[in-house]
Amino acid sequence: MADHLLEVQDLHTVFPTKDGVVKAVDGVSFHLDPGETLGIVGESGSGKSVTVLSVMRLLQRPGRIASGRILYKGRDLAKASDPEMQEIRGEEIAMIFQDPMTSMNPVFKTGWQVGEPLRLHKNFDAKKALKEAVGFLHKVGIPEADKRADQYPHEFSGGMRQRAMIAMGLSTGPNVLIADEPTTALDVTIQAQILDLLRKVNHDFGTATILITHNLGVVAGMCERVMVMYAGKVAEQGPTEDVFANPKHPYTWSLLRSIPRLDAQEHEPLRAIEGLPPDLINPPTGCPFHPRCPFRIDRCIREMPPLEPVGPTQLATCWVTQAGRDLNEAAS
Amino acid sequence: MLARYVVRRVVASIPVVFGVTLITFGLLHATSGAFVPGLELNPNLRPEDIIRIRNNLGLNDPLPVQYWHWISGLLHGDFGRSLVDGSPVLRHISDRLPNTIELTITAILLGILISIPLGVVGALRRGSVIDNFFTFLSVAGVSIPSFWLALLLILLFSVSFHAWGLPWLPSGGAESAFGGGDPIDRITHLILPATCLAFVYIAIWSRFTRSSMLEVLSQDYVRTARAKGMSERRVTYLHALRNSLVPLVTLIGLELPGLVSGGAIIEIVFSWPGVGRLALERALQYDYTMVLGLTTFVALLVVVGNLLADVIYALLDPRIRYA
Repeated sequence: MADHLLEVQDLHTVFPTKDGVVKAVDGVSFHLDPGETLGIVGESGSGKSVTVLSVMRLLQRPGRIASGRILYKGRDLAKASDPEMQEIRGEEIAMIFQDPMTSMNPVFKTGWQVGEPLRLHKNFDAKKALKEAVGFLHKVGIPEADKRADQYPHEFSGGMRQRAMIAMGLSTGPNVLIADEPTTALDVTIQAQILDLLRKVNHDFGTATILITHNLGVVAGMCERVMVMYAGKVAEQGPTEDVFANPKHPYTWSLLRSIPRLDAQEHEPLRAIEGLPPDLINPPTGCPFHPRCPFRIDRCIREMPPLEPVGPTQLATCWVTQAGRDLNEAAS
Repeated sequence: MLARYVVRRVVASIPVVFGVTLITFGLLHATSGAFVPGLELNPNLRPEDIIRIRNNLGLNDPLPVQYWHWISGLLHGDFGRSLVDGSPVLRHISDRLPNTIELTITAILLGILISIPLGVVGALRRGSVIDNFFTFLSVAGVSIPSFWLALLLILLFSVSFHAWGLPWLPSGGAESAFGGGDPIDRITHLILPATCLAFVYIAIWSRFTRSSMLEVLSQDYVRTARAKGMSERRVTYLHALRNSLVPLVTLIGLELPGLVSGGAIIEIVFSWPGVGRLALERALQYDYTMVLGLTTFVALLVVVGNLLADVIYALLDPRIRYA
């Protein structure tokens, strides 16, 4: 399977702290094919962001990749030198971040910042880069792009800044666009616009997209495939439709069940997942979800299940489903 | 936009200057003592002479009238005359000012050129041996009294070097008394006092740059810059440094009045013919008009320094201009 655009194999990322080593990413594997959209879902601290920051090699100290391979077009990014990574970042793999209000440099004009990747990677001169930047600002739906390019980020609204960030990411025509919770900091109406834009970008430019979110609705509407993460590990992955219709991991099952429904009975309590997220320094034995899992069997407490095919299209780390039980049936 | 900002800042500083003149004038007249030094003690003067002199100087007028005479003179650029030697206050200041500017600007430039790289390196290698060494230097720079450092420097570079037959540096003055005044001569005189003065600046500003840089390096936009695939050097010196310099500018702008106050001790130790030394000499001689003029002058410098800092601030950070 060497023809994946990006393939992460058994990635381990750790943060040494005073209290012990935090295993933020603990054996994650996934792949991304050209032009597809992959959603990564999970609660805060599940390792979604750290996974993609590892791919970009943008981990904050003291975080580091302990082991694993990150194959991009067959090259292992985990072992790439800094200059090699600088070639990849912004040119091959672009990234946009959660908070557009703080992700742009306040002291430089927007057009200058959007055009910067072009000057860095394509050797454009300042004038040509600015012209191209204005073009991209226009493409991402910023009105009067030529005037807006001459303004500073603080003169932009949050949604407009996120559009500018997307333009910045797209300008070099990257193969992969990583969007780390791109709509979390925005109003709901603006969220929809930005997601529309990302969908359009994926469609028009054929940019493979990794979308990190904790919003399952966003994944349903945007992503062909989804990877669910829990405690730094992959819980489940597969085509979005299949995962949503027939979850193969109790965590996914609980997540889907906890979405409040509009047609719910009045005063029906919200169904939360019992218990707390695990401590990543001293994770539970066996499967990290076992203390909260309604389907737990003895084996879950002792051994961590491997990521294995469950059903025709999905992969899951669960002894219960791997043994052939169906979660929806088991619950009823 | 920027022009309007500057005009607004200038207009806003007018009441400040006016207030300062009022306070300075009031304070000096509130202090006890004869306004004309030694007049009453002069055995050659009769009491009526003293009254006549005070009348001539306008010292028997009511205070508001005196203030009016003084302030209207100021508005015409007339700071009055020294009560000790009768020459215009402004001429004393303008005689001494170039020396002080030479000394302070050199020290400030030295401070900026050395402290910023030290601060940046300290931030980038936080916790390293070199960072700890810079921390030690800063603490030393702030703790060592500048007059003591000045004396030690003189002892080493002037006295001992001379004794050892090495090329030595002059211990005082702005130029050699005989045949001096050429640029090389002035620079050799400048080295010791400027270094001494810069030492404190370096100590404070490098700490400031370091902490400001550390804060900026953890900002989201620095991560964005890295995600664009630029070199760490470009990230640091283009995207981070400019942001981290914004607060430093204010600090440096506030040093402008140090032209007179902060440098005074150094000027005295090195017999540097500057404004600070002038102020101290004249204060000891009860030269009220001179002290009044100098204080007002320093106040003006404070205002100008702040203004300058605000303008540079706005140039560095576009968000300020619209605030």
